[in-house]
Amino acid sequence: MKELKILLVLIVIVGVTYWGIEPLAHSIMHKHIEEAIHKYHLPDYEFSDLGSTPPLDGDAAKGKEAFQMFCASCHGLKADGIPAPMDPKTAAASFGVVPPDLSNVTSFTSKKFLFHFIKDPAKASEFKKIAMPAMGLQDEQIVDIIAYLDSKAKKVHGAELFKEACGRCHSAKYQKIYAETPPDALKKYLGKVPPDLSIIMKAKGEHYLVAFINKPQALLPGTSMPRVGLNKEATEDLMHYLDRIADPHKEQRVKVGLIVLAYMLVMVGLTYAWKKKIWKNIH
Amino acid sequence: MEKKGGLMEWLDKRLAIETLWKVMMAEYYLPKNINFLWSFGVLTMLVFVILVVSGIILLMYYKPDAKMAFDSVNKTIMMDVAFGWVFRHVHAVGASVMFLVLFIHIGRGIYYGSYKAPREVVWITGFILFVLMSATAFTGYLLPWGQMSYWAAQTITTLFAKIPFIGPDLVIWIRGNYIVEDATLTRFFALHVTFLPALILVFTAIHLYAVRIVGSNNEDGIPMTKEEKKKNGIPFWPVFMAKEYFVMSVFLLFFFYLVFFNYKFAMDPINFQPANYLQTPPHIYPEWYFLAFYEVLRGFFFSETLGLIGFVLSMFLPLFLPWLDTSPYPYVSGKHRPLFKIMWWIFVADFIALTILGKLPPTGLFAWLGFVASIVYFLFFASLPIISYIEKKKVASGGGQ
Repeated sequence: MKELKILLVLIVIVGVTYWGIEPLAHSIMHKHIEEAIHKYHLPDYEFSDLGSTPPLDGDAAKGKEAFQMFCASCHGLKADGIPAPMDPKTAAASFGVVPPDLSNVTSFTSKKFLFHFIKDPAKASEFKKIAMPAMGLQDEQIVDIIAYLDSKAKKVHGAELFKEACGRCHSAKYQKIYAETPPDALKKYLGKVPPDLSIIMKAKGEHYLVAFINKPQALLPGTSMPRVGLNKEATEDLMHYLDRIADPHKEQRVKVGLIVLAYMLVMVGLTYAWKKKIWKNIH
Repeated sequence: MEKKGGLMEWLDKRLAIETLWKVMMAEYYLPKNINFLWSFGVLTMLVFVILVVSGIILLMYYKPDAKMAFDSVNKTIMMDVAFGWVFRHVHAVGASVMFLVLFIHIGRGIYYGSYKAPREVVWITGFILFVLMSATAFTGYLLPWGQMSYWAAQTITTLFAKIPFIGPDLVIWIRGNYIVEDATLTRFFALHVTFLPALILVFTAIHLYAVRIVGSNNEDGIPMTKEEKKKNGIPFWPVFMAKEYFVMSVFLLFFFYLVFFNYKFAMDPINFQPANYLQTPPHIYPEWYFLAFYEVLRGFFFSETLGLIGFVLSMFLPLFLPWLDTSPYPYVSGKHRPLFKIMWWIFVADFIALTILGKLPPTGLFAWLGFVASIVYFLFFASLPIISYIEKKKVASGGGQ
């Protein structure tokens, strides 16, 4: 009985300390993050701060013409046999960053966001130094281009999605994925080499990453990460991928953990029986 | 050791192992009125063994080089080596749990008056072991070369600059560079894997030897001679160890639960970002077991020098407990010393408060709370001579226990 009382005191002391240094400390240190998430209702896959768009039901054929006229001088579209006009190194040297191939862009980017982005890249991305200029296109032309892109886009997942959505600036070197834009060019363009994302899930956690990718400036004012407008499906797919590469042994851990705990439970029983036996005649 | 003849006898003739076994185990008697808190000494040994074994395996893959350290931990050990992640988790959680066990072991020693005569040498060697263990933890924490590793080392080594005259030179000497860099990592590595563990072994031996001479204290702090213990007590082997194995099993159940299912407290998320000397993290804090002392350092927020003096005192004052507390009560246990008991519980509450405050940003209300809590920390030590004085007077007037 006395032993249990002492154990209870220990549990209370350890419990209070743990509560203080983990949940309490984190809630206080991350207060500004929670506030930003709350203020902007993140993640906001409607990108409501950018306003509305005309109905996105353009003409793909007209869109292709517009694409070739306005976009193809920088962007490729392999899905329709349009190659990138420059090799990555030259492109990075001229623009600061390699312009993306737009084959699948509408499959992982919100179309609403894409409309606003084409209209005014700096405003939509909330990144003033963004390499793409506002092209001065009519709403109609933009809607057509989006319809054209959409007609060619196919779904990408996991590593492919990572390469297309993040891989122009970010590496995941533990997966042997290296940023398409050379580090020197990135440093010049963004001010620093963007972090490697191999184990970013362990460093930041899903809750933060989802909100950050959705609206970087809200969580980290002044960051050189542009808003890229990932849609909900792609964000979730990406989170799943980042979690898998950061913690590849999760299933093994749970399995081994349960076996070890079961073994220790048996040991608790055996050692208790032995203690009883030895202590039978003592007191 | 009952068996005679053969190898045992051969060894006994040459090494007197039978006598050794009797002195250390079978005829080393403990009092009966002890509770399971007396099991925590052996638990520290258990955790130490766990740390050494897991450490040796990590050592086979770890690269003490600023360019390779982070990846060797987070890629090679965590992802590529079969079950490498188990050993990293065990080592990281083990380091944390070592301090939990140590704090309970030390706390038990203080509450039941185990530091008092004739156990001063046990207390001093124990204190040295705590300092060595802290140094081992501090040097080890730099090795993964993450952001928190780096900035914790940077912050703590900077403290040495405040030492008069030699300070600034000393910092460079410790780091081997003007900032924490590759040279720092390599020397911390050397200390962490060879020098410090070797010293811990030496002092553990002295600690255990000293305990065998003066014997264990007990709940009531009643002084007992060896003969009394033999008559009324229990032998270390097998009786005490039978209970110890049970405590160990329960402890390991808890330990492995942490290792597999709740390890985040021992592996800070920020440390999964590689060290970057150009980018200071928004919050820098040590591992939880140093938070209380760190908070004393920050507690005197208006004066860096005072904070540093407070920090050093907070770590080294416990060493002087046997001489601060000179109470003549024959029963040394706090159980029978009401004033001591009150101060003790205030101290425990204050230590928890300091630990929690140590992680919070030191601004506004927290700064003042930290200041008050730092003062209260020292009140415990300051009160001991006063309590001793009161108790002396009581004894002189025929009162007390």
